[in-house]
Amino acid sequence: MEEELIGIKNAALSFILEAESLESIEETKLQFLGKNGRLTIAIKDIKKVPEDKRAAVGMLANEVKETIERAIESKKQNLKEKSLSHVVKKIDVTNPGKAAPIGHLHLITQAIEEITDIFKSIGFTRVKYPEVEWDWFSFTALNFPQNHPARDDWETFFIDERQSDKFGPMLLTPHTSSGQIREMLSNKPPIKMLNIAKTYRRQADVGHTPMFHQFETLAVSENLSIGHLKGTLEYFVRSFFGPNIKTRIRPYHFEFTEPSFEVDITCTVCLGKGCKLCKEGWLEMGGAGMVHPNVLKNGGIDPQKYRGFASGWGVERVLLMRENLNIDDLRLVYSSKLEFLEQF
Amino acid sequence: MNILIPTSWLREHLATKASDEMIAEILSASSVSVEKIRKRNDESIYDIEVTTNRPDLMSISGIAREANAALISHGIESKFSPISINQTINKGNSFPIDVKSDSKIVNRICAIIMAIRVGRSPKLFIDRLEACGIRSLNNVIDVTNYVMREVGHPTHVFDLDRLNTNYLTITRSEKGEQLTTLDGKTYTLLGDDIIAKDENGRIVDLLGILGTQNSVVTDQTKRILFFVDNNNPANIRNTSMNLGIRTDAAILNEKGIDPNIAMTALLRGIELYQDLADGKIESEILDIYPNKTTNRQISISNEKISDVIGAGIPLNVSKKILDSLGFIVEMDKDRLEIQIPVTRADVRIEEDIIEEIARIYGYHKIPSVIPGFFSTKSYKYHDSFYFEQRVKNAMKYLGFTEAYTYSLVSEEKYEGPIESALKIKNPLSIDMAYLRNSLVPSLLQAVEENKKRDLIQIFEISNIYEKRKSELPKETLFFAGILKEQSADFYKVKGLIIEVLKDIGVKDLIFKNTKKAGAGSSIYLGKEYLGEIEVLDTNLIDFELNFEIILKFTNVKKTYKPFAKFPAIHEDISVISTLNTQNLINEIQSVNRIISDVYLKDEYNESRTFHITYQDFEKNLTKDDVASIRAKIINHLKEGLQVQIRE
Repeated sequence: MEEELIGIKNAALSFILEAESLESIEETKLQFLGKNGRLTIAIKDIKKVPEDKRAAVGMLANEVKETIERAIESKKQNLKEKSLSHVVKKIDVTNPGKAAPIGHLHLITQAIEEITDIFKSIGFTRVKYPEVEWDWFSFTALNFPQNHPARDDWETFFIDERQSDKFGPMLLTPHTSSGQIREMLSNKPPIKMLNIAKTYRRQADVGHTPMFHQFETLAVSENLSIGHLKGTLEYFVRSFFGPNIKTRIRPYHFEFTEPSFEVDITCTVCLGKGCKLCKEGWLEMGGAGMVHPNVLKNGGIDPQKYRGFASGWGVERVLLMRENLNIDDLRLVYSSKLEFLEQF
Repeated sequence: MNILIPTSWLREHLATKASDEMIAEILSASSVSVEKIRKRNDESIYDIEVTTNRPDLMSISGIAREANAALISHGIESKFSPISINQTINKGNSFPIDVKSDSKIVNRICAIIMAIRVGRSPKLFIDRLEACGIRSLNNVIDVTNYVMREVGHPTHVFDLDRLNTNYLTITRSEKGEQLTTLDGKTYTLLGDDIIAKDENGRIVDLLGILGTQNSVVTDQTKRILFFVDNNNPANIRNTSMNLGIRTDAAILNEKGIDPNIAMTALLRGIELYQDLADGKIESEILDIYPNKTTNRQISISNEKISDVIGAGIPLNVSKKILDSLGFIVEMDKDRLEIQIPVTRADVRIEEDIIEEIARIYGYHKIPSVIPGFFSTKSYKYHDSFYFEQRVKNAMKYLGFTEAYTYSLVSEEKYEGPIESALKIKNPLSIDMAYLRNSLVPSLLQAVEENKKRDLIQIFEISNIYEKRKSELPKETLFFAGILKEQSADFYKVKGLIIEVLKDIGVKDLIFKNTKKAGAGSSIYLGKEYLGEIEVLDTNLIDFELNFEIILKFTNVKKTYKPFAKFPAIHEDISVISTLNTQNLINEIQSVNRIISDVYLKDEYNESRTFHITYQDFEKNLTKDDVASIRAKIINHLKEGLQVQIRE
């Protein structure tokens, strides 16, 4: 019996050694360890062995079984590795990959997401207010004098609807600043608002589209200062444009802020040396200022107790300036040419 | 509005060693933006943007005063010398022409009659005007422009003999009146323009904008009426925009010029006529100034100045800054009592004073701080923007490209009766005359723009606008898309919508046959109408959904269903029926609770094969259990619904 078991082991090991494919190794496995396999049958015969030797033979049979199993497993592994390296040899890694059919988000969507995230990280919450507005929210409450040029037919789109006794004509808001009034009327300070929306002005040329996007910040609290406005805008500029881009604020004039600023950043093309695109090394980014006391009042907030700062910039502008996209006609941004949209 | 200023002219009023570049840099930081320094004959010309609230800076003397204040605050030595006039001329009531003005449209008129000799201006004079972008014509005209640049008030000159009148009436025009300007162009007036008429009712000037041909100075002019008129800016703006006459004078006058500098302009002009054109004064000065502006007073505390600026600025520093800008300031303990110069109509409240101090002090010196407070409202992570962005991302990764099309459309692109549309009163073009009520026409336009593409997958999420009675229109976020391909598949679009919405937890969409003409489906969530899939032709399918309704059904709640302990049993049933697939699935599922899933596996000719999963969470299902339920299903379909079963 012992000799028979050893013989089976040797036979099995030499089959395994010679096997050159996974199929033949499976065959060998069946031949020895299968239901009618040689070892299986031999093990069945152990009960015929005299009782005093049966335990020792049983142990040997187990050893043989384990040895064969181990040899099969290791040979299998060995064969798998060989076949894989064979496949790898057949791959030409320089052949083109099969493209996954991924689409594209619009430039503006991508910019809005980034802007939202940056301001979110310093506590500004995005809101949404009407695009079609009453004059009162877009102009009067923002301290625009009645005869301000922005209020005439040349600059703002008006809607052919009956005007409101209380709020005046209906129009397409020319700036996200109307959201300042909406925000103040519906919330109590402290306020940290980010309003990103479509805005409309009656202009169409290489630098202007009649519809565009602005993002507006508004903060209202006790004891806000020009220093806070600077800190907030600088944080945005560093986060959006990069740590080496500097910010400067300089005097400007808006009806709804006092003091008012124009915010410039280091020119992203010449990096401050001065070029065709910029003004002596600086690029104009947008407006900002301390909320005018009349505007706070119109928003139902006591200007003796609270102060605010606000900024309103163009989404298109910050995006195109950062990317140096060289889009010489802004109207392209709102065209639906796939050749354009698929680039981003 | 921009102004060009040659440095030599500026330095006539500004004594400083600062370089041209330094002056530009400091002006930009503290006052007006110097956009470029241009070079002309080796001289620096500042190209300066002046904000509309500071028409007082549309002049050499105005900029010189500002530059002086800013330079001193930056520690650079500088001295400002204002325009000074040394001669005295009589003012009186015996002006040879009886000028009748209207104080509602004209604030002030200053005028004088002079004898002059027409000729060429000196070279320096011509150079300076040309550096400022003004063409030199002759010495008489050049003086008016020179004064406008130097003092900041537009002026006008008539040929007195061509004018030839005893009366001059300044009045509002009537609609339809005509005039010919000095450049020979004839205009028909719309009314409310400020005009001057002579004793015969002839229009002899379009005030504040441009002179008329019938009274303009010529080479033969011997005597002039030199005329400084300060007008109502609103009238000037309307006339200038309506007629499209954008002269330097109009651009200045529409901003509102301080009437107090009108006299300075007149006196400076007289002086220049004497120097350049052998000018002889032939009358007293006429000065009609019915509503004089008065000085205003503002009081402000040191604490407020420092609080708003965010930097402690000593009171005496604030005072010095205001002094240098021409304010008259008294220090009273910890307060400043300030008299506002009449030229500074823009300074009205404490905040205006703070701006004056802060900008000259230097914005760059104010420390930057990020405000540390947060809104008391709780922060909502899953807001509408979150879902919008998530859907956009899903669409992108499913192969769709996002478009942004204009909210404004043509009449053809408005869906439904045009009377219900929100109409733009003053559209730029007929292509953008209405606010849209559907995104689909715009996306179809996009397909048209990409005609050569066989495969187009685009989408947009934007507002649509619906009229409401005496309220602002309803703005509703819509989600629309288009699939264009060879034999476009309705089920592909349906599957896309289901998967994209499933990603934001919106389930159980109900698809019904569309009530609209053509093929497609109306989609519901519960009882709410969500939108449509429209099969436009074999290659073109669009869909449009109301995103606000989608938002109502979003669900980010995570649920866990334990794994089944007992194996499921699967089998297929093939049927022939006129019922729709959803009905059949519902009917099959209604037979027994252990039918955990039914879906359409295959469709061939009239026959549909459903794959049924039997799953009991309590026990092992036996073959007999399943056989009996299957029999019930078949019975229910056959007997109850006349469905033919294919065994």
